[in-house]
Amino acid sequence: MKNQQIKIMSHLVAGYPSLAESEKIALAMAGAGVSYIEIQIPFSDPVADGPTIAAANRHALDRGTSVNDCFELMTRLKERVSIPLLFMSYYNILFRHGVDAFCARAAAAGCWGLIVPDIPFDEEPGNGYLAACAKWGLNPILVISPITPPDRLRAIGEMAKGFVYCVSGFGITGQERNVSDETRDYLARVRQHISQPLALGFGISSQDQIVAAAEVADIVVIGSKIINLYNQGSETEGLKNISDFLQIS
Amino acid sequence: MLTEKLMNVETGYFGEFGGRYVPEMLVPIMDALRDAFVRYYQDEEFLAELAHLNETYIGRPTPLYFCQNLTTRLGGARIYLKNEGLCHTGAHKINHCLGQALIAKRMGKKRVIAETGAGQHGLATAAVCAKLGMECVVYMGAKDYERQRPNVFWMERLGATVMEVKEGGQILRDAINAALRDQLTNPTDTHYLLGTVCGPHPYPVMNTYFQSVVGREVKAQIMKQAGKYPDYLVACVGGGSNAMGLFYEFLDDESVKMVGVEAGGEGIEEDSRKCRHAARMQSGYPGVSEGFKSLFLQNDDGQIKDTSSVSAGLDYSGVGPQMVYLRDIGRVRFTYAFDDEVLAAYDLVARSEGVFPALESAHACVEVIKMAPQLSRDEIIVFNCSGRGDKDLFIVAPRLAKDNFAAFLRKKVDELGR
Ligand SMILES: Cc1ncc(COP(=O)(O)O)c(C=O)c1O
Repeated sequence: MKNQQIKIMSHLVAGYPSLAESEKIALAMAGAGVSYIEIQIPFSDPVADGPTIAAANRHALDRGTSVNDCFELMTRLKERVSIPLLFMSYYNILFRHGVDAFCARAAAAGCWGLIVPDIPFDEEPGNGYLAACAKWGLNPILVISPITPPDRLRAIGEMAKGFVYCVSGFGITGQERNVSDETRDYLARVRQHISQPLALGFGISSQDQIVAAAEVADIVVIGSKIINLYNQGSETEGLKNISDFLQIS
Repeated sequence: MLTEKLMNVETGYFGEFGGRYVPEMLVPIMDALRDAFVRYYQDEEFLAELAHLNETYIGRPTPLYFCQNLTTRLGGARIYLKNEGLCHTGAHKINHCLGQALIAKRMGKKRVIAETGAGQHGLATAAVCAKLGMECVVYMGAKDYERQRPNVFWMERLGATVMEVKEGGQILRDAINAALRDQLTNPTDTHYLLGTVCGPHPYPVMNTYFQSVVGREVKAQIMKQAGKYPDYLVACVGGGSNAMGLFYEFLDDESVKMVGVEAGGEGIEEDSRKCRHAARMQSGYPGVSEGFKSLFLQNDDGQIKDTSSVSAGLDYSGVGPQMVYLRDIGRVRFTYAFDDEVLAAYDLVARSEGVFPALESAHACVEVIKMAPQLSRDEIIVFNCSGRGDKDLFIVAPRLAKDNFAAFLRKKVDELGR
């Protein structure tokens, strides 16, 4: 399988280890040919993240990373890369800023889509989050899991824009998973109800897994592995590790 | 009717607060739990078992006790203490632990997880799991693990695994996050036995239901002892479970006024990351975290702040959605008590009545001590003594009897070293 055919979405935490480094990490990712970059706005209580990403959130906040910093990072990156850039965060960040105002600013900064794992599509009557995404032209990336029942898959298929993010197994980010028969069956089941492209994420940590995942999914998500790669060695080595890992031949 | 509004099993919203803001993975799990709750709380066989164990295992009804000496000393309203400290394992927490565990068992869950602050909820969870033969894992912030060490010991003796959470401020909120992560990793075989009226729907309504036995008993007991309903109900508020327990049954009785007391800590002051208190009703803002919409202590960016209180059980940045709703409609008045006032009240209640309130409950005592002298002899205050103070030995002793306690500990350490 050729590099260009494998679509990758790689993840970073804005402000980890610093905003300047986050920018370099994103540029290294884009340079390595990823298709999407997921920029996490750090949150104090990242419940859907595993220990590696949670610690990076904490670190970024300890360094004083603000939501405004994240918008500015997005603006700067948008000037230098052409692939879609997404914000990932938790609902309180949007809620506190005002969901509509947040979406307006994200769109103005050049953001392509949002991943907000803790706002189910049917939570608020006339879901203000989905409405604001539609109003400002952002793709709300909805997340599903292997235990999402068929009726919810169908509903998500109707609402989803951009792509749908499939959690690859039970669990939070950072645990190793092979692309198993179960995952194969899971994505096949999802495709019965959802026609959008499927991204497969959570726990992919080797190039072999990326290649395997790309056989069943349209987009492969690389999360905590990036932070681990970065943390191995000096800053320059970290960037090179990321870039080498993402260049799959 | 308020009692109906606060038992909204349909959506779990109370005004704009509540809901179930969880990752999609947990949506089917929370929906199944809600369905099971709806089924069993109307099931006679279930209710009969609950009533039987309430009586024979927990020791219900707990006494409503007239604090004669305190009343005389303060010279105002008559003060009654609802002694939840006499529940098995020492606090009201076991009321919802038993109820939830009986549901979890019927749902076929093999493993139970819980968060704990003061250790009382963890202890009660460990006890019911031992009794019902379920595996039990309790998450506890490292700071609470240290300051509530006796309860760690007891939970372990009951066969539970206590996980020390070293993330964040290392208190209750971090334990809740860790438990939510565990539930995300183990969605089907594990029941998350959440310990207060917070978290995603159905926890607030479910725990309110199981705690409401407290107020129901008070209603009968106060009629028998005083021939009238109380004028005031007072309870401390961490998440709000003991307060909901005492208040719920009286919500539609308009003559009964209600007061909730939060942790004032070392003062109502804060910076952008940390509060010296845990008084959400004073400086919290609407937000969504840990699965529900409510008031949270947070900064302008929506980052939740760390909190501080002498009592681990009140040391939490969020508060139950029903509590916020009751405040907004003016049904419950909220105030706060500072750490040093709490220790003084603890001492006063102990010396005048021979009862040790838990430090959490002593927050309610502070307010009672302030209110009583302003009221007349024919007015009645009932406060929820939600737990007993034994667990607080290592917090109270260094503050109230430092030298003796230090000498004792040194002697014990020497003996162990030998
Ligand atoms: C004795 C006691 N009272 C009160 C609380 C506070 O919780 P809640 O507000 O849910 O009653 C706790 C919590 O640990 C407790 O142990």
